[in-house]
Amino acid sequence: MNKPLLNRRDYLRLSSAGVLSGVSVPWFESLAANPIIKRRRGKSCILLWMDGGPSQQHTFDPKPSGEFKPIKTSVPGIHIAEKFPKLAQRMDDMAILRSMTTEINDHYDAKYFLHTGFRRVTGFEHPALGCIASSQVGTPDDDMPAFVTIDAGNDKVNGGRFYRSVPAYLGPQHNPLAVQHPEKGLENLNPADDNLQRRLDLLAGGESRFAQQYPLPAVMNKQAAFDRAVRLMHSPRSHAFNLDNEPTKLREEYGQHRFGQSCLLARRLVESGVSFVEIFHRGWDDHEGAGRRIAERAPWMDAGMSTLIRDLKDRGMLDDTLVVWMGEFGRSPGNGSGHFCRAWSTLWAGGGINTGLVVGKTSEGGKNPGHEVVDRPITAPDYIATLCKVLGIDTHQEFMGPGQRPMPLVDKRANVIKELIS
Amino acid sequence: MSILTVRPILLGAFLLSLSPAQANPLLEHDVLPILTKNCMGCHGGLKQKGKLDLRTLPAMIKGGESGAAVVSGNLDKSELWQQILHDDMPEGDEKLSPKDKETLSKWIVAGLPTFADHQDSKTKPSLPAGKRHDPSQVAIGIDQHIENRLQANKLSPSPPADDVEFLRRIFLDLAGRVPTATEARAFLEDESNNKRAALIDQLLESPDFGKQMGRTWRDWICPPELPSDMNSGKQPHQEARRMGSWIADQVNDNHSWDYIVRNLLSVRGEIKDHPQMIFYGLVGQNARATPDGSARSIGSLFMGVQIGCAQCHDDPYRDWSQKEFWSLAAFFGHTKGDFKKLDVKTGKGEITIPNSAFLNAGDKIQVRYLRNGKTQPEKDSEWRAEFISWLTKKENPYFARSFANRTWFYFFGRGIVNPVDDIRPLNPPTHPGLLTLLENELTASGFDLKHLIRCVCNSQTYQRTSRPNKEKTGESLALVTAQFGQMPLRVMTADMLYDSLKQVYGDPKLDLRAIDPKDGNQNGESAPIGDPLLQFQRDFCTNEEDPTDFRHGIPQMLTFLNHPRLLKGSKALEDFRKKNPDQTTAQTIEWLYLSTLSRLPSPDELATATQFVTELEEPEKAYTDILWMLVNRSEFLFVR
Repeated sequence: MNKPLLNRRDYLRLSSAGVLSGVSVPWFESLAANPIIKRRRGKSCILLWMDGGPSQQHTFDPKPSGEFKPIKTSVPGIHIAEKFPKLAQRMDDMAILRSMTTEINDHYDAKYFLHTGFRRVTGFEHPALGCIASSQVGTPDDDMPAFVTIDAGNDKVNGGRFYRSVPAYLGPQHNPLAVQHPEKGLENLNPADDNLQRRLDLLAGGESRFAQQYPLPAVMNKQAAFDRAVRLMHSPRSHAFNLDNEPTKLREEYGQHRFGQSCLLARRLVESGVSFVEIFHRGWDDHEGAGRRIAERAPWMDAGMSTLIRDLKDRGMLDDTLVVWMGEFGRSPGNGSGHFCRAWSTLWAGGGINTGLVVGKTSEGGKNPGHEVVDRPITAPDYIATLCKVLGIDTHQEFMGPGQRPMPLVDKRANVIKELIS
Repeated sequence: MSILTVRPILLGAFLLSLSPAQANPLLEHDVLPILTKNCMGCHGGLKQKGKLDLRTLPAMIKGGESGAAVVSGNLDKSELWQQILHDDMPEGDEKLSPKDKETLSKWIVAGLPTFADHQDSKTKPSLPAGKRHDPSQVAIGIDQHIENRLQANKLSPSPPADDVEFLRRIFLDLAGRVPTATEARAFLEDESNNKRAALIDQLLESPDFGKQMGRTWRDWICPPELPSDMNSGKQPHQEARRMGSWIADQVNDNHSWDYIVRNLLSVRGEIKDHPQMIFYGLVGQNARATPDGSARSIGSLFMGVQIGCAQCHDDPYRDWSQKEFWSLAAFFGHTKGDFKKLDVKTGKGEITIPNSAFLNAGDKIQVRYLRNGKTQPEKDSEWRAEFISWLTKKENPYFARSFANRTWFYFFGRGIVNPVDDIRPLNPPTHPGLLTLLENELTASGFDLKHLIRCVCNSQTYQRTSRPNKEKTGESLALVTAQFGQMPLRVMTADMLYDSLKQVYGDPKLDLRAIDPKDGNQNGESAPIGDPLLQFQRDFCTNEEDPTDFRHGIPQMLTFLNHPRLLKGSKALEDFRKKNPDQTTAQTIEWLYLSTLSRLPSPDELATATQFVTELEEPEKAYTDILWMLVNRSEFLFVR
């Protein structure tokens, strides 16, 4: 379907018809206008979430006695697992964090902890990273959604309940927009015929009447979602959702796996103004041992990530785009069959951080190398605080949570990882 | 979404602060929320630092190593207060707010009052127990309970719903779909006085009622949009649907609720003979029945208790012990099976806590009915059968109460006890007398679920408008709605929405999928699904805990905006036009409004739509566009 999208004039007409303008009643305004939320332009982020917990020893913290041998990288003295030769050549642009120590070995609670920086408690939700970025980074009420998730598929379904980012007290306008498949883009983005405008005009009157009769949050949320959908259709930037415009050669370099294509889509989205993209790939809960599984995954992960970093750099976008690779915890030293939150690794690139370095260290000797952090432990709050800082988010601000309770955006005890920010 | 998610917690304190009859803070409403948030992490079920447990009043009075946590009327001797006063507790940066401190001190000074201390005549049921009453009588009783509470809080209920509101609401609630144009017209033009009661009776006897109950329970047992939460990607949605149909048949055959639950839970054999058998697999793990899954889900669904947290350790916040959880699970220790067959053996009533629990793995736990009743675990028995027989007795303290509360939740979007499966002494009902009344009526009628629902739907409380009064601001509106003085505006469930669309488009195979089922990944979070209903359920699922919460986003709106099927015309409209070739434009537009919004168009709406048809040269296309406009209306999407 290559129908023309709405043009600017249509859009203005639509706004004046009331469909797009929102509805002005007191309760709506108090909900919509949260004076505490300050918006400013920060950096973008692409989060590569390996759901289930990837093994650090089979990726970025290999041990000489491990199943995968360490190989040299472009930075002397830094080694990563042999299955990632392309990433090894990108080490100059990357920083490995090897001393994650995060307390929680349960999938869901750990996913919550590593997405929010807070432990999960009964009856209260903390906003997820992507939703925080949506509220704090980028232009308010932009055509493009601020936060998009992309499903990069799975090679098996495990790793427990899937964590879905919630905006909590930041408000439902910061919910993510979900792309179910990178190559399908956003479904139903184009009008089915040429008559959409007339139909929208016909709809407008009834909608504003209903909103006046029922000034309730649910109605406001419905109409706001509808307005944003129409605006997105109108925006020329919505072409970013379509991978067909990319050269075949580049698409192949990203890898013909869904993960690589998700990385490419993420780049296009960031380029067109999306603040936060979370790509998730499920299946990393390798209880039968990580070796065989990661050997299968390594080629597409290596191709997708290394091309993403290079492509961002070629376009001059890398300094403004933080790329983060992580899961909810690592895996037990050795064959990686168990959950392991005590000493595990994540990888960052771009975003203007210091790169070509390793932060933290796990134990080398003994019967069980890698079973503990021996230098510079990084906690989950430290981690989230640093991430926010890199994106340009004020980590000291507080929001008014439910019950007029001031909620710090980031745990007050968090310490920023100074090695990454000079 | 989460703004709404946290609302129920706040409301407890909120309601009471406006309640003149209860000026002093109460344990359940005011004090426990503070302690839960700030203290029970270290002094609760999981950890008991200083041997102090703050989960119940007796445990607080007993205190820990430093003495009694609270002493009635004596702040000086109340260790809890002494620790909090100068911010020695809680540890960490977050201290108690001055307001929370004031609440605690007032509560101690007032003599540790509890909700139970405030039971008065209003909390007794308005009708005597032990006898089935006429639904109209019960309906009046329901209204009395609601109005008493509103009056005590100086709140006034909303006016009655008009016929359109009532018609649409009762159809969606009892038949799971909007009325057809013919059904809508028949009701709106009926001038008899008892037409509402008659429609309730008519719908309760229609097969759609059983269907709607069946799929509601199916979703409560396991929501279809969850592909892998409990069952590693092997979600047997077809089988789950057949279980829903099985429940539907039971309801339509007028079986009583205890009978249905007995037949559901005591199933054994092969699934081809017993479609309800999938229950145990659905609530189990890795495609198998598990004792813990059975205990957790039966506790939540049929007993109204959330004991799942106590699986691995004592519940940190509520007074459920890990031992209690496994004593319940022990009843299902000999129930073994998968999605295909289920076998139940006799044996000793004992189970071993598995290694997956954090604490006490390996301990042997014996069967025991929750909080009461004696068992003889040493004897060989079919323990599951003994449990089912205990559960479904009239005298069982959980069974009838839990069903009554869930039924209320179904119609009002909020239980009399909240959350709907957290019934326990320290989480009291907002309307204790009302809950007892419903419970009594259920048992006295021999668990006649249609009777209970007939009583509720005939009440004025159910038949109030959902339209906010202009004078009511957000807060007082929320208050009145939470006390059932006003109907909430609910989001149609995926099944309601899908059935309504199928009906108005005259297309039983309506397919709104965007992804071709033949390509892509076949199992996982976003697999294209070879089944349009399942895809629809995943896309348009609603918040099970709060039906007033609107969660659809841009993708759902884009489906309604742009999916080609919604612009391809309606077979139902075609049939109507064929049968009535002389219909005027106005009459066709009326048909479209009645079929979707269950009402006639206003004069303005009619004029606009008529002009639209006149301007567009092809009337068929114009009518399809009007239909598109109507299903895209907020008014269509909500149960008002």
